Amino acid sequence: MFILTKIADLVQIAPAQFEKHSRVAIENNINAKYANRVIQKIGLCICMYDLLWSSEGLIGHGTGLVNVNVEFRLIVFRPFKGEALFGRISSATPEGLNIRTEFFEEIFVPFKELPDGCEFDHNQQTWTWVVDGAPMYYDKNESVRLQVIDEVWHDQRPESTSEEAVEKAKKISPYSVRGTMMKEGLGCCIWWD
Amino acid sequence: MKILEAQSAILTNFEVYQFLNRQAKEYQEQKRRGPGNLETLRRELLQYFESKPSPLSQEPCTYNEQSISRLLERLRPYEITKGEMIMIVNLRPTNPVALNTVIEDMEDRFDQSQQEDISAGIAEVLGEFPDEEEEPEGNQGDVMETTEAR
Repeated sequence: MFILTKIADLVQIAPAQFEKHSRVAIENNINAKYANRVIQKIGLCICMYDLLWSSEGLIGHGTGLVNVNVEFRLIVFRPFKGEALFGRISSATPEGLNIRTEFFEEIFVPFKELPDGCEFDHNQQTWTWVVDGAPMYYDKNESVRLQVIDEVWHDQRPESTSEEAVEKAKKISPYSVRGTMMKEGLGCCIWWD
Repeated sequence: MKILEAQSAILTNFEVYQFLNRQAKEYQEQKRRGPGNLETLRRELLQYFESKPSPLSQEPCTYNEQSISRLLERLRPYEITKGEMIMIVNLRPTNPVALNTVIEDMEDRFDQSQQEDISAGIAEVLGEFPDEEEEPEGNQGDVMETTEAR
């Protein structure tokens, strides 16, 4: 689920942070910039893992900011294709199941990836899997195992600087995961344990 | 920002869990708060790791620094791939049905008794949740003990 990504970047330390140790100021700056943010084709950044290198600090003209070039490794959430993971059902629609984890909400299992014999119950708004005439429910908040089959990237860069374009670009999630529950052992954990 | 290496290593959930726990403790000791986005995300991740069915939710923790190397040793005869091994460590499948979700083409690669031996090996090294019906007996500090009770 997690990988390390090596990144080079420029960190700018404001005078208000000068009282801190450089290492702390650099780490805070990196985490403020990256934690809980998606880099396209890399994944959801968690936090700095280690600082590999940093340059001397150079004070810029006019601003008083200290500029430091750094290289560091970042912990990133990026489940690989074929990876099985735990999640929880957040909602169901006729299109499929929305799954979330505590820290990542954008997982979707399309109905085609549910096992044969699954039906959507419009009254209950849930999917049920009917085996030998007995229905089993994909209830909301139920813990599930799913397997990643695909990932969808969406660059949120707006088409223009107008507020409308910015809002529109933000609506689509920058990174989402598609999963399957076709294989034996996938789906609600309580069915199998 | 420049990406120097998109993927320089893979971490198991246990490693990330340890890292974040240590970070939370260090920050507390140094009376320091990380940026808000980090504090929130760390709390959510720890919550994910510590809620069932995550194996890291079991108390006392059944994983330690040696777990992964011991697991590799125990499962060596079965030629399990690196990706599969990572999933085993993350999900701890202790029965053949759960194992089926992390091993590709399991039916073709392993017969019934092999599947059971792999599951048992995982439970031996990584522990397993005690049966809910039975009261867990005495001291569960030793991982081996817990698994043999089943």
